[in-house]
This record gives sequence, structure tokens and C-alpha cells, in this order.
Amino acid sequence: MTKLLSTIFLLTFLTVSAYSQQPGDAGRPIRGKVIEQTTGAPLPGTNITIKGTSQGTTSDQKGEFSIRANPGQVLVFSFISYEAQEVTVTANTRTLDIALKEDQKQLSEVVVTGALGIKRAAREFGGGAQVVSNESLNQGKTVNPLVGLTSKVAGLRINMYDSKVDPQIQITMRGSRSLNRAKNAPIYVVDGIPVPEITRLNPNDIESITVLKGANAAALYGSEGVNGALMITTKSGSRGRGTVKFSNTTTFSRVFLLPPAQTKFGQGVNGVYDPTQAESWGPAFDGTMKDFGPVLPSGSRHQILYAAPSRDNRLDLFQTGVNLQNDVSFSGGDEKNTYFFSVQDVAIKGIIPEDQSHRTGARFNGTRKFGKLNTSYNVNYVYFKKNTTPDGPWITAYSLPANFDFNSMKDWQNPASYANPNYFFTDLQKNPYHQIDNTRDVSEQQTINGKVELDYQVTPWFNAMYRIGMFSTSTQTRSTTGKFEAAGRRNVNGSVSDGSNNFQRLNGDLILNFNKQFGKFSTRLILGQNFRSDYTKTATVSASNLLLPDLFNPGTRIGELTGSSSITQYRSLAGYGEFTGGYNNYLFLTLTGRNEWVSVLSKENRSYFYPGVSASFVFNEAIDALKNSRFLSFGKVFASWNKTGNVTLEPYSLNNPYSQINGFPFGNLVGFTPGTKYPNPNIQPEFVTSYEAGVQLGLLNNRLNVEGSYVFSDSKGQIFNATTSRATGYSSAVVNAGRLTNNIVELSVNGDVIRNSALKWNVGFNFTHINNEVKELYEGLQSFNIFRQSYANLGQQYPSLQVSDYRRDPQGRVIINPTTGEPLIAADPVHLGTMVPPYQMGVSTALQFKGFSVGAQFDWRMGGWLYSEIVPRMYTAGTDPRTAEFDRQPFIFPNSVIQNADGSFTPNTTVLSKGDKAFWTKQGEVQINTAAKSDYFKLRELSISYSLPATLLSKQKVVREASLGFVGTNLFIIRHKDNQYGDPEYLYNSTDGYLSFRQVPPYRTYGFNVNLTF
Amino acid sequence: MNKILKIAIVATLTVSFSSCSEFLEVNNNPNAPVNENLSLSAKLPAALVSTVNQETGQLNQIGAFWAGYWGTTSEGVNLFVDLKSYNGPAIRHQRDGIPVWENGYTTLLYYQLIREQAQTEGALFYAGIAKIMQGWHFMRLVDIYNNLPFDDALQGTRHPTPRYENGKTVYEKSINLISEGINDLKNAPAGVGPGADDVLFKGNKGLWIKFANTLKLRALIHQSEADNQAYITAEIQKIQAEGSGFLGVGENAFVQPGYLNTATKLNPFWESNYRTVQGASTGNHQDLRPTVFLLEQYKLRNDPRLATLYTTVGTDYKGVLFGNPNAEAQYNRANTSVFKGPQENNDKPGALFKSATQPSVLMGSFESLFLQAEAAQRGWITGSAKMFYEQGIQESFKYMEVAATAFAAYNAQPTVNLDQVPDKMAAIITQKWLALNSISSIEAWTDYRRLGLPAIPNSLDAPAPTARPLRLMYPESERQTNNNETSKQGSDDIIKDKVWWNQ
Repeated sequence: MTKLLSTIFLLTFLTVSAYSQQPGDAGRPIRGKVIEQTTGAPLPGTNITIKGTSQGTTSDQKGEFSIRANPGQVLVFSFISYEAQEVTVTANTRTLDIALKEDQKQLSEVVVTGALGIKRAAREFGGGAQVVSNESLNQGKTVNPLVGLTSKVAGLRINMYDSKVDPQIQITMRGSRSLNRAKNAPIYVVDGIPVPEITRLNPNDIESITVLKGANAAALYGSEGVNGALMITTKSGSRGRGTVKFSNTTTFSRVFLLPPAQTKFGQGVNGVYDPTQAESWGPAFDGTMKDFGPVLPSGSRHQILYAAPSRDNRLDLFQTGVNLQNDVSFSGGDEKNTYFFSVQDVAIKGIIPEDQSHRTGARFNGTRKFGKLNTSYNVNYVYFKKNTTPDGPWITAYSLPANFDFNSMKDWQNPASYANPNYFFTDLQKNPYHQIDNTRDVSEQQTINGKVELDYQVTPWFNAMYRIGMFSTSTQTRSTTGKFEAAGRRNVNGSVSDGSNNFQRLNGDLILNFNKQFGKFSTRLILGQNFRSDYTKTATVSASNLLLPDLFNPGTRIGELTGSSSITQYRSLAGYGEFTGGYNNYLFLTLTGRNEWVSVLSKENRSYFYPGVSASFVFNEAIDALKNSRFLSFGKVFASWNKTGNVTLEPYSLNNPYSQINGFPFGNLVGFTPGTKYPNPNIQPEFVTSYEAGVQLGLLNNRLNVEGSYVFSDSKGQIFNATTSRATGYSSAVVNAGRLTNNIVELSVNGDVIRNSALKWNVGFNFTHINNEVKELYEGLQSFNIFRQSYANLGQQYPSLQVSDYRRDPQGRVIINPTTGEPLIAADPVHLGTMVPPYQMGVSTALQFKGFSVGAQFDWRMGGWLYSEIVPRMYTAGTDPRTAEFDRQPFIFPNSVIQNADGSFTPNTTVLSKGDKAFWTKQGEVQINTAAKSDYFKLRELSISYSLPATLLSKQKVVREASLGFVGTNLFIIRHKDNQYGDPEYLYNSTDGYLSFRQVPPYRTYGFNVNLTF
Repeated sequence: MNKILKIAIVATLTVSFSSCSEFLEVNNNPNAPVNENLSLSAKLPAALVSTVNQETGQLNQIGAFWAGYWGTTSEGVNLFVDLKSYNGPAIRHQRDGIPVWENGYTTLLYYQLIREQAQTEGALFYAGIAKIMQGWHFMRLVDIYNNLPFDDALQGTRHPTPRYENGKTVYEKSINLISEGINDLKNAPAGVGPGADDVLFKGNKGLWIKFANTLKLRALIHQSEADNQAYITAEIQKIQAEGSGFLGVGENAFVQPGYLNTATKLNPFWESNYRTVQGASTGNHQDLRPTVFLLEQYKLRNDPRLATLYTTVGTDYKGVLFGNPNAEAQYNRANTSVFKGPQENNDKPGALFKSATQPSVLMGSFESLFLQAEAAQRGWITGSAKMFYEQGIQESFKYMEVAATAFAAYNAQPTVNLDQVPDKMAAIITQKWLALNSISSIEAWTDYRRLGLPAIPNSLDAPAPTARPLRLMYPESERQTNNNETSKQGSDDIIKDKVWWNQ
């Protein structure tokens, strides 16, 4: 690093000294020192100018400088590849200590956080890497940092599961390498420590995220790195004056994209109105007043207007969500210490009434130097609480009649009200507000995450580091259902379930780092050893029959207590090494190797080794003709090959565990049954071989940056839980089988369209095409079911959407039964396409004009398919618009044919299909009716902000910077015309393109934020 | 440099290796036992309970609708629509369907693992039980799906896509398996075998063998119309050669694991169709009603079982029309008869609902007696059809809480007395039907498919007036995992394709 810096210094010095001016001869003398923010090393050759004048100077070898300036004048500190800093001289300014921050826009000098958290020049990097800055990450002011990354990085696919107050996120880098759909996420590494999740990490604490895309970059992290790595660097303090930052973001969220519902027919049965039926199979709305529900205690019956509402009543069930974020951070430091301290509070009110979450977190990052020993430590504590209702209310809403008046149903506690569960209009559905109030899931989680790092500089070319990290979560849950005594289906059992889940991870690395320069050759050797220990303990205790309606304790129960507990341990050990050789700072070769021992495999199989090699070549610096080219500022080609071992097996998977179900034990009588997963004690590690080649170009003085790469990966002998025929006795089997290849093209283009002092307009575009293919499956099988309609099919993209369809003639027309008019169902399912969009594009634009800045992030995904399980239920309930298309009358099924005796087909013009409930319910079961292409284009994030001009702030001394802005997400979306079902991005049970009624429907958010720096 | 490097490497590697083996020894499951930890007696009860749960739950429900016992109230018009409209694709649906296949094979696996362990340990009694019960399940699945895997089944990934075999072949192999089971039981040394863990017969070998023989008889009766007389005769001879006979008067196959009136431990039939653990009337109890046709059949015979089975509305018993797509007021909950249990019967047990801890019926003596009556009537076995028939009715009276004294008057009626009825076979099947009501309904559906008896009216929601359910479609899960084999079985239709003994 020092070496690199001095090289930079030399180059820079030569360049800038030619332009450096004599010290100003007017004003008061000011002395000071310029240092590099991260390392604290002096920055000799920094250009220091007085703004608006031609006066200036440069810092000397020690980084020190002196200049004369008057109060009110602005000093500009600039250094190539560092962000310029401006300081206003005041009457008291005598000395100035400045720490400059690396500017990561200069391609040739980009520093990335490589494996093991070791920062290195991007130039020596033989794989794809992309850095996302704090500003870009926080453009949409998201609570979860992963959401903030969405569509910003080529090759990275991030999906939200739904719109809960604490939505789950799926993240996949460069497609699926594993048929085990839960095992395609990259590893998260926070300040050098691998952690299982970063959901609770405050995105404002993140300085930058380096996305290491290839397996090569992460090979040193072991198996989990096979899917790439997110190297997260949290903020650190910088030397100099302490800084206090405060920001507030308030956003509002509104539900949208509900699947449409028909408004022609109301509640009833077979065309006849029925006051106590929930399904919309009654007569057409006629504008009359009708009885609604059973007879009330008053002896009367509630009356409703039987008319189609002018607006979607279902929207009344959803409220405007509010998301309040407040952030304060303090940072500072001196010669030996730096510190960064932040506190964040996030309060979210969900779009489902009463859903809320609260997160309060604090972080302390510090460093201290003791001579040759550098220490750094950080600790992050987050308290998170959420209180939600389980799926239910909104599922109910999908099947209620169009004229159902949600707003009048809140008064359920009133014993005389028609909203009371005793008198709710039907006993086959619940009052959604009763569900909301009465069924609650509360979860409190505390996350503690910290590390200690000791780095000893043994000799100038050798340092030894030990880094130990701890990640622990403790989650306490309570699920309650209030007892409501009533007749039959209206009765609700009181229940309570208390759970606790404790997870601890310890991770330790010993890293020996050797650096030596031999003339034009540079070498670096890293040797390391790692241990990892994961420990999980869960326990639940519950009672399903409580005595009292408002006392939720298992002690106040009728009957027996139930509960369970489990302990899970996972451990691994590894030894690893990396050697990098460089020539003349433009040609690099890196070799890596790691041997891993994991506890989850049998003794014979638990040790495995995997190697990697990568190279990079900065050709514009090596080829004389390209040196100092005005067009090409930076040019690099890189390539890598890796073979990475991976064990995706859960602990204890080598045997089939037995458990007691069906009420056992009955007193002393035990009864054990085996699990339905066929175990395989001989599971071995799976291996992914990947090749990557790419080019990185900085053009027109780095105004236009282009990066492109081609990646091929080949996963063999995959460990996955294959769904098997139930006739095998098991529902699935753990196998070492299957081969999946990925052909990936990635392209990122980023350029400043306009770049001048007044206006800066940057446009970025990233494109990813993933063409994967299932090459082999277990035992010569053609097809494997993954989850419901999701399959792995030989020779096709993974995962494939396969659905049931009608029997069709060669022209694709539906064959119907000539007597009943019922469409015939094909025995075999049809394959529609892949459920993961193979084309993903992100477009970003950032405009800065004076104090204004506008940032937008567009997301465009194409080529995938989705299936909705919501709509079939709406067919059954008679709420789907299609059920009203033919006015519930017998009709000729569109585009239908009748099969003649000789096998030919005649278009059907006479045979009527019934068009009643039974008919439409059956059509709902034909899955092709509710499948659609999942293409979309959306404005994912929009942010507009205005920074108050310095002149305005200079009148006071408290606030140094201030800005305010507007933020919005999902402001618009264009979907494929067939997709009326929901947000195609949402997923369910780790399955892309699967829309479930359990998902809280999509929302959009908009709001404002205020940032102040003191 | 070299020296330091060497030391570093050695140190690193030493740390790794020396602690390696011990550090990594954490993969023994501390949370659950595995196969080797458990004795046969810890497994058998769970398997038997699993069998009877499927019989009295899932299968009984399908049978009760399709054998003419149950309909729904007007309020419940939207309940059980898939069964009422014979919606094959919905019934085979992976999540919302009725997983008869899946549950059947899972229970078969339980017996397979017991059987393998018993064979290893030389525990013949357990091996025999496992084989008999596997025979039960395989034939049950054939009754519902027809062709299916037998030889290839239950072996995990050894046969990941098990080959289907003809339904008839599976029947034959199952009967042979039951015979093997009987041999194992006979060869099991006295005093060695299950006791309390045998929740069916408490280790009574004689009853097990009689049960096995009855099961074989049932399998043969199923194929009465399948033009397979030579086989039937041969198999009957084997049963007679064995000599133990069938389940007779007082010999019921009841499963009693020790039900408790507490959550998850109630008799499941009670809990799903009568009262919840809280004592609230269940959804099924609210909306399931006897059909008009069923009540007529009891009334026609002045049947004393009516009074213990159902409540009256006013002074009469009122039923519903199966599959009625309209919600007519006369079929409302309040206007129709409901299952009687202790709460509607002055705390005395009802015919079907006696107590939350009542045993589950796997096979009642009455079923066995009616099977024997039919076999005797067909001349397959010796003995008087009339005697078996009358014993069957008496045993049914006994089970349904009707005083034994009521039998004489009942049997004196020309509509009941086997000597006086015009069609003896119809009388036997109808009496069997009246006895199996809501207990072993799936067998009643089989009898209807086989003989068209009694003349059950079709669902008003049937896709066509003459369309009747004949089998279930292969489940979606099987289409997803074993489609090559499933496709080979050809047409897969609920109202068109018959199982082998019905062709």
C-alpha cells in the first residue's frame, strides 16, 4: 500500500508540480498536513488552491503545507484519485489537518476490498468486481442494504419476497449454480468477517460494498464464496475535526397491483342471492337493499346496498404505511485513534393494519495504533421488534364480494354488531379485522456483531494478522390467537406459542501477509488458517387450548403442553493460500488454493481442496502506443479459472431422523416415524468450475467506463434435495447429482454525459444475460420437480415453469367434451419457460446541477415466466373477472374444437360449456390459465435532493452541510399484458416467478429526507 | 524469509490438523433418534395409527360422499365442491388436493422399515404384521388409483422412478404378501412379540391371522365381477387350508393407542367431525348432513339405528341432496338432521360419536360378517349367508349403541329378513352399506362401483347426469416426479377410467 502510494505520489508530483503556484503573498499564514483517510499515511503532492484564484501550493514529502489565505476564502485540497475537499478559512484558522478520501471513480486507481478484506488495486484483480458507494446504495433510503443494491450491479439479482414490514430478500449472483434453490446466495463479509445475513445492517453505516462476482475472488472464503461475495466496508472515522451527521427519512407506502376482481356479481349461490355466503356466485348487482348476514341480537338484519362499488373496496383493508428513519453518526480521530459511532432508529408501520416493526441499532468502529501493531475493532448492536398478523386478512380479501364494506367491519368487539364474529355475515370466512386484531406474531431480535483485528507489522515486508469475529442473534417469538367462544366454525381456540432461537457464529482467521518487490517484479503471498463454528439452539413451548381469552401463557391452558427444542452445530476448518506476482504494475498473476474440512460430511468425505488461478493485464500501460492516449485512459483484460468445492448440506443430514407425530406419545406409549427425506450418508462435496474473461476500459479521461465479461460455470455432482416419487416411500432424497451450466454475459457502461463545474449528468447501464442449462439429472432422469410448478428439466433453463394445460388439437385449440362442454385436461404438463428472467438490465441516471441532484434507478427484466396461485382461488370464489366474462351463462368456450370419430377436429359452434361455479373452479385448476410472462420495466428508485449552498450556511457555525430531498420507490411499473397478478419480482419460498396469496401485495413508497452535517 | 515462511506454514497446518478431527465431531444429531436407536415397539404403534388415521379420515370422507352417506347443508354449499363435482384435477392437486397416494406410500414406508428391521432381528411377529399391513395399503391404493408401483416401491433412490405394475398384479402380490405375513406370525415363537405396542390386537396372534384372512377375503370379494373365478376359488381354498377363519362376532379391528381428551390426542374422527378439543362443534359437524336417500333407506326398514345416529328436526329425520348446487332453505343447518353425539343424546354415546377417546375403527366385525355373508351367498365359503348377515346386523346394532333386543323385531320385517327379501345379494350389500355408514365408507364406495348397490342418486353437481367417480387421478406429485411411468398408464380420468376389478 505504502509502495503503491509513493508510486502514485511520484507520478502525481511530477504532473502537478509543473502547475503548482508560489505560496500566496497575502492573508494570514495557515499550516497543516494532508493525510490519506483510510491509512493515515501522508499525502505528499496534494494540490492546495484558493478557490476562485490562481494561488496555491502543494504538500511536501511529509504531507505538510503552508499557505496564506484570508478569512472567508475557500481552500481546495485535491489529489489525483482522491475526492477534493473544500475548507472555508475563518478568523481562527491557524492549522488545518485534512484527510482525503479515495475517489473510486478513477478506474486505474480503484481500490477494491478483496477476499479476506484486504484492499488491493483493482488493476491486479483477475475477476469481476464492482463497487457500490454509500451514495448509490442509499439513493432509495432503503432499510435493508440488499434492497438498496437491487439492479445496480451487473450479474446480481435481488428479489423481495413481498411487502411485509420485514420482507425476506433473495440474492443471487450470476445465476443459479445450485439446484438447491436456497444455496445460491453470495457470502456476506462485513469488515473481513463472514456473517450469515446483513438484513439488520444499517445501510448508512456502509462506506461501500465491493461486489466480487466470481468464485475466484471469494475462493479464499471457502464454500460459501462459490456464489461470489459482498464485501462490505463500514465507515471509519477520519483524522481531524469530528463530524456529526443527522438524517431523517420519512416515507409512505401504498399498496398497488392487486389482482383485479369482477364487479358484476355479488354474493350468493348458483345465481341466487344468499345473505350468508361469501362467494360471489350470486345474481348480478342490481342496486337494491338486501339482507346481509344472520339475524342480529336486536332481531333485525343488517341491510346492504347490492350494487357494484365504483372503486376497489379491497384497498380499504390496506393502510398507508409509514417508514421513519432517523440516523445520527459521530466520527473523528487523531494520529493514533479513529472512531465512528452511529445510531439508527427505524420505525415502520406496514400496509397491513397494525403491522409494525422497530429497529434500533448502534455501531462503534474504532482503530488504534500501538507502534507496529494496528488494532481495529467494531461492535454493532441491533434491537429489532416486529408485530404482525400472519397471512389471512388479505387472503380473505381476495375472495370477498366486490361490495363488501371493509370499513364497517372494524367494530368486531361490539357484541351486537354485524362485524362481531358471532354475526359476521358468513362463518366460512373470518372478519379480516378480527383476524388482524386477534392473531398476532411478535418477534424480538437482538443482533450483536463484532470483531477484533490485530495486525502486526513484523518486518516492512511481512505482517501477521489475527481477526476474530462474532455474530450472534437472539430471537424471541410469541404467536397468539385470542380465544373467542362461539358456535361451530365461528369458534376460535385460544393459543400461544413462545419460541426462542439463538444463533452464534465464531469465525477466526490467522493471516500471514508477505510483500516483496524484486525490481520490476512484485510478489505477495498470503497464508491463512480459518475456523468457523456455528451454533443454533431453538426451543418452543406452546398451548393450543387456552382457558382465558386475554391471558396468553401456556400455564393457563386446558390439556397438555407441547413444545420442542433443537440444537444444531456446524463447524469447519480451513487452510488457504494466495500468491500474486506482478510485473511492472501492469501484469499480474494470482494463484489460490484452499483446503477445507467440514463437520457435516462423513469422515471420509469431509476434506476437500480447491484451486484457482487468475490474471490481469493493464495493457494501456504496457503498450507504448497506448500510453498517454487521450482516448484510452485505462485498459485492462482479465481472466480466471477456478474450481470451487461446496457443501450445501445441513447438519445431521446423513441420517433419517425419527419423530413422534399423530398425537404420540400417548402416555407411556411411544410411536416414532421416519422423516420423508431419503438420507444419503455418502454425500460428497459438489464442485463448480468456472471460467471468466473480461475487459475493463476507461475512455476519454475516464469519462466513459466500460466493463464487459463472459463467464462460464459448470456445477457438477450437486448436493440437493431432489423431489422423488412418493412411491419411493420418500418425498425427497438428498443426492449428489445433477449438472448445471451457466453462460453469462455481463456489460456495464457508465459515463458522464455532461461534466462541467455547473452540471454533471451521469448515466449508467448494466446488462446481464444468463443462459443456464440443466445438463444432467439424477439417474438419467429427464425432469426434477423443484417446488410445485418449478422444475429442473434436462436441456432446459433452470428453473422451468411447467403447468397443466388443456388437451389441444395440433393448432392449439382446446378440445372439449362434446356432451358436457367441459374442456379436456391434458395428462402431461406443458413447459412454458424459465422462471428467472434471463435478461436483466439496470439503468441509472444521476444529475447534479448546482445544489440539486436527481438520481433514478430503472430495472428491466425480460424473458421469464411466472405462475400465480392467487387467481385459482379467485376463480373458485367467483371474484376473478374471467368468471364474469360470459355473464355466468352457458357459452361456447373460445377457440374450442370437438374431436371427431376419425381423430380430426371440428371447431365447436354448438356445444355450450356451463359457465357456473363448478365449471370455473375447474378452469382455475388448469394452471396455464394463471401463468404469464414476467417481463417488467420499473422505476425502482427516484431521489431528488437539494443541498443548501455554502454561502447560506456560512452565516452560522453549527451546520456545515444541509440537504433535503424526495425519495420514491416503485413509482411506476410496466408489466407484460398477461400479468394481472402482482409484482413479477416478488417470490415465494425461494422460487422466482411464483406469486402466492401468502405474499403481502406489492407497494410503492414515496417520502422525503433531511440530512444535516455538524 | 524462508525460515519465517516455513514456521508459518507449519504452524498454520498444525493448528488445522491437530484439532481437526475432534473439532469437527459435531454431526451426531442431538435432536432426534435415528433408525438404529429405536426398537420395533417404538415404531409399530405409529405405523398402525397412521393407517387408521388415513382410513377414518381422508378415505372415509371421500367414501362417505361418493357412497351416498353425506351431503352438505345449504350454508356449506361451497364446501367439498371438488368431491361433489368430481373435480379430478383439484383432488390430485399437490397442495389443495387429497393426498391419498402420498399418505398411503408414506405409511407403507413405515411398515417397510419395520419389516426390514424385523427381518434383521428375526422378529417374526413384527415382520408378519408389517407384511399384512403393507398388503392392506397396496390394495387400498389399487382400489383408488389402479396401476401403481409394488416391486420398485419403497426403496428410496434405488428406484427413484418406480415402475408401475398392473392393478391386478399388485392385488395378487399383496395377497401373497399377506400369506407370507400369516406364515411369519405362525412361525413366531410364542410369548415373543408385541404387547401394548400392538395398538390393534395387543399381540393377539390369533386375531391377527383372522384379520389377515378377512383382508384376503375382502380382496377377493372386490374382484367378484372381474371374471377371475378360478383365482378366487384357489385363494379361498388357501384361506380355508390355513384354518383360522375370519373375524367373527365380537372380533373388531379397533385401534386404541390411548386417546386423551387433550389437544392433538383426541380420536381424530371425533375431532374432525364432532367436537374440537374446546368442545366446540366442528365445521364438519356444522355442515355435514345425511343424504335424503340414506335416511330413506333407514326409515324404510324402521331402523333403530336412526335414533342413535342423527337428531330429529321436529319429529322427523331430514337429509340433504348430495351435490346440490343451490342453497335452499329446507336444507339449511337448522332444518336438517345432524350427527348425534353425547351432547345431543343426554350424555349417552351416539352411534358414531361416543367419546373423545373412543377407539378408531380399522375394520368392524360387522364388515367381516357381511363379507362372509356375501361369500357364502356366492357359494365361495361354507356356512349360512343368513347367519352371517344377521350377525352382521347385530354387530352393527351393538356398535351403533342400539339395544340387542331391538334386533328381533327388526329382522322380522320383510324388508330385512334375508328369507323374505326379493334380492338376497342386494339385501346383504344394502345392510352392509347401512352398517358401514361413515365408518368404513370407502368400502361402501367400492361396493357401489362393483355392484351398483344400493341405487345411490348421483351428485346434482356431477359434470353429466350419468358421470360417476370411478377412481382418483394420479396425484400431481407423481406427474411431477414420475411422469414417464404415469403416462404409460394411459388415460387418467376420474369419471371414465375404471380400476381393474371394475372393468
